[in-house]
Amino acid sequence: MHFRKGWAAAMSLMLLAVACGGDDDSDTSADTESGSGSDEPVTIEWWHIQNNDPGLSMWEDVAHEFEADHPNVSIDITVYENEAFKTAIAPRLQAGDPPDLFQSWGGGGLVEQVDADLVQDISDDVAPWIDNLNPAAVELYQVDGVQYGIPFDLGMVGFWYNRDLFEQAGIDEPPTTWDELLDDVQTLKDAGITPIALGEGDQWPGMFWWAYLALRSGGPEPLQDAGEDGSFDSDAFVQAGERLQELVELEPFQDGWQAAVWDGAGGQAASMGTGGAAMMLMGQWAPGTMNANSPDGNGIGEALGWFPFPEVEGGDGEATDVFGGGNGFAVGKDAPPEAIEFLEYATSLDVANRWGELNSGILPVTAGSDESITDPTLQGVLEARADASYVQLYLDQAYDPELGAVINEAVEQLYAGQASGEEVAQTIADAAGG
Amino acid sequence: MAATVVRSSRRSMRQPLTRSALYAIAIGVVLVIIVPVIYAVLGGFRTTGQISADPVGLPHPWVFDNYIEIIKSATFREQLLNSLVVAAITMAVVVPCGSLAAFALARFSFAGREAVYALFTLGLLFPLTVAILPLFITLRSLDLLNNPFGVALPQAAFAMPTTIIVLRPFFHSIPTELEEAAIMDGCGPFRFFYKIALPMSRPILATVSVLAIVVSWNAFLLPLVVLNDPHQWTLPLGVTNFSTQYSSDTARILAFTSLSMVPALVFYVFAERQIVSGLASGALKG
Amino acid sequence: MPPAADVGRGAAAVSLDEREPPLRNGLPASPKGVDAHASAPFAGSGRVGAVWRRRLTILAFLSPALVLYLALVLAPIAQGAFYSGFDWNGLEPLEKFVGLQNYRDALADPVFLASLRHVFLIVVLSLALQLPFALGLAVLLNQRLHGRAVLRLLFFLPFVLSDVIAAIVWRLLLMPAGLLDGSLEAVGLGGLIQQWLSDPDIIMYTVFFVVTWKYFGFHMILYLAGLQQIPPELEEAAAIDGASRAQSFRYVTLPLLAPTIRMSAFLSIIGSLQLFDLVWVMTNKGGPVGSAHTTVTYMLDHGFERGQFGYGSAVAVIAFVISFVFAIGYQRFVLRRDVAGALTTAGA
Repeated sequence: MHFRKGWAAAMSLMLLAVACGGDDDSDTSADTESGSGSDEPVTIEWWHIQNNDPGLSMWEDVAHEFEADHPNVSIDITVYENEAFKTAIAPRLQAGDPPDLFQSWGGGGLVEQVDADLVQDISDDVAPWIDNLNPAAVELYQVDGVQYGIPFDLGMVGFWYNRDLFEQAGIDEPPTTWDELLDDVQTLKDAGITPIALGEGDQWPGMFWWAYLALRSGGPEPLQDAGEDGSFDSDAFVQAGERLQELVELEPFQDGWQAAVWDGAGGQAASMGTGGAAMMLMGQWAPGTMNANSPDGNGIGEALGWFPFPEVEGGDGEATDVFGGGNGFAVGKDAPPEAIEFLEYATSLDVANRWGELNSGILPVTAGSDESITDPTLQGVLEARADASYVQLYLDQAYDPELGAVINEAVEQLYAGQASGEEVAQTIADAAGG
Repeated sequence: MAATVVRSSRRSMRQPLTRSALYAIAIGVVLVIIVPVIYAVLGGFRTTGQISADPVGLPHPWVFDNYIEIIKSATFREQLLNSLVVAAITMAVVVPCGSLAAFALARFSFAGREAVYALFTLGLLFPLTVAILPLFITLRSLDLLNNPFGVALPQAAFAMPTTIIVLRPFFHSIPTELEEAAIMDGCGPFRFFYKIALPMSRPILATVSVLAIVVSWNAFLLPLVVLNDPHQWTLPLGVTNFSTQYSSDTARILAFTSLSMVPALVFYVFAERQIVSGLASGALKG
Repeated sequence: MPPAADVGRGAAAVSLDEREPPLRNGLPASPKGVDAHASAPFAGSGRVGAVWRRRLTILAFLSPALVLYLALVLAPIAQGAFYSGFDWNGLEPLEKFVGLQNYRDALADPVFLASLRHVFLIVVLSLALQLPFALGLAVLLNQRLHGRAVLRLLFFLPFVLSDVIAAIVWRLLLMPAGLLDGSLEAVGLGGLIQQWLSDPDIIMYTVFFVVTWKYFGFHMILYLAGLQQIPPELEEAAAIDGASRAQSFRYVTLPLLAPTIRMSAFLSIIGSLQLFDLVWVMTNKGGPVGSAHTTVTYMLDHGFERGQFGYGSAVAVIAFVISFVFAIGYQRFVLRRDVAGALTTAGA
């Protein structure tokens, strides 16, 4: 790539020197970093993780369309599965050679990349169109107010429940407070129904519960503060642990939950998808996975419902505080300006609507695209997202990977009955240096 | 020395009861071995939903899509070819280099010989994962990324310890008389190696080749890091295509892994004779 | 005639390493009165030119393997070990030197220490159960049984499968209400059902079972080869002398099989110390609350996956040192008699 830039720069100079009044409206001003005017061939190296359809084909189409409009641009797509991506990109980053555009979840991972000078400041380039995107999502890709990436998806975590099973147990309305939730769990147990599906084997599904309880108990401030000064031993977190313990003591989960994974045969999604459990706490991608793990591919069909995380009595948090995250692309330090133009196209309303129509786990963030999503339960998620007073990013992404892992593990110990709420808070605080 | 004559049983008289007990044990072990493999193969004929709803059941209905889609897909064939190429290169590098080194370590005496041997055995004690980042940088500077050699050469290097450990005792056991006779005929060490020692060692070389190929076939981490271009991917990388950010298609994964097993199994059946005779003929002689 | 031929005229077999006794064919001179002057043909001669040629020859033989190995194995490993002295997230420049702090942290981490215990458990169980089991089957296959060749093929089969495939399949089989649970129910042993992969107390035993499933065939083949070296006349002689089968096995077969057993034990222990793929995939990165961590899974999970490359490297070095000390000790004291494979020549 460096080679190409040097060559491109030389060519531009020569062309300028030789040109005899030709139609030259291209931007040949000193764009030194990439050194290419709009006539020079440009390659954009793009790594994303939508490795299955419909996402896979969607991105391919988007890339082709952009190439058609910009004949000098060619987009080189590399697709990885989620976990494989994390492993495969590490050596590239370590060698200081990031791809031009690559999958990013924002948060602590992005901070590390900024510190290592791997990503580009695109604040100025995107200023004209950034306001078309959901501000909460956009903020996830800022570090100290500087923009380094662009989101294309923002979802949130909530409860997915089986209406039929609730009815069977005699529960008319989903719970709106934590105590009501605990009561419902007991009611379901008494009716012989497994109340909650949980795949604690993956650790992060269990972390969702704790994080939401912390958010509800203390509001956004403790979580933000803890990110700065490591104060994970504050009241909000201790209470979160204690409340979670109340739930775990009821033994509300399916058999083998400690080792169960989110997805795949025998996992959390499978439990819900086969009608084996009444509810679960999960992100907006849940229906797709549930269906894939069900015998006829339709999950529990019409019986699927959604409700937001209940309030916690005496807590400082609002019911509209939201816990979630999404997907986006970070811009590598050597990326050409065309890469940023491509991002503008990829998040344009037209493309966003096409994403919405797929009714997949991707909830586009472009203003005006909400209507394109027709699935009623996803609509419920979108409403909550639109009303969100605050979006807290998944803890294992908000903070640096090490702290995220410590949190997941400490919470896992609580589930295993090996640590109390206070001990969990203390462990995390110690690791965070607070 | 190499005697692969099958020994007859030690006792000609055997109680029928003991014999059936032996058979029972053997059958039991065979079942425990076979059932998981069959389960994997059958799982490919179901959907993930079926497996979740009824982990134990037979396919109902039988779903042929998983296998058919995979066999039809050009990607699978491409990955199969890539795996073959990488395995072949690995073997083609390991066997000559390893046998040359093992021969020298077995038949020459020189200062530091045991130290060199010890150096090679050190490689057994380190997992590849530790070395992967520096290795990536080295490969990058040698311009070996996205290249089957970028996978095969490190694999061959990491296979050196086992290869040399297995080959050295074998070369030890070639009788001196053979060497002396060769020298009388004016044969230098290279020719002795090439014309006499190697042909004698065919079984053990087969063993070493099979080990190198099996390891290469199943390798995941190194190809993942070296081969970014999906067209260069090997079969283990291909499995990841059946998982996404949010879900895994268990049934299709089973179908894919079952199909990937086939070449390894076929190769193994043919090579098994070689392995057994190779191991019998020298590797374990005290 | 090539210079090496001069050697055949009775020149002393020169050993270039003064510490070593003269060697014959690379083996130490046998105490049975072999003429120390009878030379190994390629062992060298006194002539300078021939010595240099010999050195070049040795170099030529060794260099392809050595170059490959040094560049692609030792150098990266050394560099990896170098990282262990730093606090490094893999992205920033290598600046934060912390000396031995990573090592102190590792040795103080209960999860790491638990991983060492887990590995030790596997080692002990393998030596106590897996290897004798393999030996028993080898003895079985050494009898004249119908279908012996087929059995031999089948028993080795799991070894050929990748660890990842084995892990994926067994994970499914061990699911609650999965195939294993279903089979136990079917034969009325439902009471034995456990949470094979969720119960922190028994998960390591589950791992051991699957490890055995995967690797027993390898050891069995080794023993079979060893058994087939033993002349039947010896056992027949023992029978004639009135020894029972058990006695014959204990006093005749086992001693002759000992070198094989020692090598197999060595490989088994080293393999257990390196156990990774199988555990990683089957227990989903180390099991609930890390109850199934091995040193390598711990290294990956707590080190590299958290962007703690310095720490991960330190764990790797610790694991390496343990393996190395064991390997040296084992070679020196146990494999001493088996010259092939000796790391040291003391007493050889």
